[in-house]
Amino acid sequence: MAKLTPNDFAIFLLAISTILIFARFGAEFGKKIGLPIVTAEIAVGVILGPTLLGNLVPDLYNYLFPFTSNARVSIALDGLFSLAVILLLFVAGLELQLGQVLRQGKIALSTGFGSMVLPFASGFAVSWLAPQWFGIDTSNRFQFSMFLGTAMSISALPVIARILLDLKIFRTKIGMVVIASAILNDLIGWLLFSFILSMSGPGKGLAGIGHTIIYISAFSVFMLVIGRMFLNRILPWVQSNLSWPGGVLSFSLGFCLLCAALTESMHVHAILGAFIAGVAIGDSVHLEEKAREIMHQFVTNFFAPLFFVSIGLKVDFVKNFDLLIVAIVLIVAFFGKVIGAYLGARLGGMKARSALSVGFGLNARGAVEILLGSLAFDAGLITQPIFVALVIMALVTSISSGPLMLYFLRGEEERD
Amino acid sequence: MDTCILKGRPPHPFETIAVLVATSASMEAVLAEAGCLASVFNARLLLIHMGKKTLKLAAHLDEIHVRSGGRLQNTTTVWLEDRHVDSLLHICKENAVDLLILETIRREGILRYFLGSLVRDVCRTAKCSLLLLTEPKVVGTAFNKIIIRGVVNPKTPLTLSTALYFAQQVGVGEITMVTELDQPGLSMATAFTGSAASTDILKKQITNGEVRKIQDMVRHCRSEEVKVIEEIISGRQGYAIRQLTKNQNADLLVINSPDSRYGFIDRIFTHDMEYILEDLPSNVLIVHSRIS
Repeated sequence: MAKLTPNDFAIFLLAISTILIFARFGAEFGKKIGLPIVTAEIAVGVILGPTLLGNLVPDLYNYLFPFTSNARVSIALDGLFSLAVILLLFVAGLELQLGQVLRQGKIALSTGFGSMVLPFASGFAVSWLAPQWFGIDTSNRFQFSMFLGTAMSISALPVIARILLDLKIFRTKIGMVVIASAILNDLIGWLLFSFILSMSGPGKGLAGIGHTIIYISAFSVFMLVIGRMFLNRILPWVQSNLSWPGGVLSFSLGFCLLCAALTESMHVHAILGAFIAGVAIGDSVHLEEKAREIMHQFVTNFFAPLFFVSIGLKVDFVKNFDLLIVAIVLIVAFFGKVIGAYLGARLGGMKARSALSVGFGLNARGAVEILLGSLAFDAGLITQPIFVALVIMALVTSISSGPLMLYFLRGEEERD
Repeated sequence: MDTCILKGRPPHPFETIAVLVATSASMEAVLAEAGCLASVFNARLLLIHMGKKTLKLAAHLDEIHVRSGGRLQNTTTVWLEDRHVDSLLHICKENAVDLLILETIRREGILRYFLGSLVRDVCRTAKCSLLLLTEPKVVGTAFNKIIIRGVVNPKTPLTLSTALYFAQQVGVGEITMVTELDQPGLSMATAFTGSAASTDILKKQITNGEVRKIQDMVRHCRSEEVKVIEEIISGRQGYAIRQLTKNQNADLLVINSPDSRYGFIDRIFTHDMEYILEDLPSNVLIVHSRIS
């Protein structure tokens, strides 16, 4: 069995501690100047990664993060970052209450679908009709177009929830519609993305499309119907008979990893299992709020910095900055999401300015988009310049979302 | 009957009360409850009997009438030959029924619940208020402890005023209005930023905002005779109040009618009223506010 040598292990631990300590300082500094924490963490990655440290002090960079020079440490770090992605998807799923979408009724459904269909169609159309703009191989055009469509249609529930809290509209009609639509966006978006990921890679493609659809649908339906019933019976027992909060934490995280392993073994990406496990557990009325909070704290304070800093460690943001790709991605992202959500909300009976505000609210892509881009990059679906453009789009849409929402909310009675 | 008169008609007073009965051991108790309530609300009573009229059944009903000691004197009986929800609701509509009383079990079998029983389906679709009795008594149920579900919804003031009317008529001096606070996305939004203290402050602010909304609603529906106590609980909407009603051993839970027609998908991804229908915590009054 290949093992890390004591020196490898020391480097591995040094890398993790460097990431965590710098990420914390970055986050605290970001908070002081009003920067979202994810942005600060990515900036830390850019500083510690090939963009800055790799260029200025390459020896130190290669010693701390030996991705190319030490395969063992590289694999260990990659495993840890993959675990971080799985757990981030799990906690993203924890917040998706499907009943919330049904409760909001027609307006949430029309806004949710509007904010998916137009962004997906515009993302797909641009990459299908003009693949040369993105510099992608035409043999990979379908998967890439599917990916860009999905990347445009997804929303970032945590960022959106934070914006609504800051604007003090979290519990208003608009806030509820935005949350419910984002839930729908995320659920469908991740299912679609799992499907795209399972089609990518050597020896895969359109041939096994039927099996993939069956696997994803069967797993999701089974988990969300039968799995939820099972969880509703077992969670009260876990919470009352096992140690608190250790019991429920071990059970939930174990269940998440079990589902992730199951989907990975079905040749559908592990993220699907983790995400659906999160939805199934989070939707249970028996999961205590405190347990949910602890899981969020654990993942967002340990695994999230590891993941978001690793983004900057992977890519040289200066070398791979392509103004044309960034501009196209930004235009398509704003156009599709804002107009799509606007039309959906109007169809649901919302006033024009409120509907625009909903559109800008749902436009925030944040951490979820970065997660999606990172997975696509690792799977070889996209190139470094496209990944950089997606990260920039995620940051721009998240930062602009709040002020634009507020602008269109002014004077609207639905705010109350 | 001009069915247009139902549109915009206030949910109370209960001028016409209907009761759905079928031949069963508890039939007499259900009729006794309906008779009691019709007399309390000074309402016309319509007896809807499920099944085809036979001499034996008619004679059985007559016996119950005699035993009721006059409480079922001015009752009109309608025979509902099929078991269709639409037929039942059509009778209610034709007779301008304000309150339909139904007997039901607290918890149905899983298959029956998912496929949809007659009583549960009536709850999801009825255009009049409904009173679900879980344990009807020949001597009549005492509605001493009444809980109202206070959600921020245009229907809620009418539900509250109906609950106050109900309480006043049955002689209850105090009712509790409970608001459930559920914040999907809040844990995630606060986990990324802020300290535990700032999160607590944020939660408190949200709670205070909800309290204000409920207080405004109560202020507009104040009653001289009945005191309204406000209470905020946290938890999933529908489920939290179900548990509270159970734990407090309440006699009646008053809720709004659903905003849309609930279907099979609402039973799979349970929310709001479906949590209550899944396992009735007490007798339940579903107020149809008839907002057009």
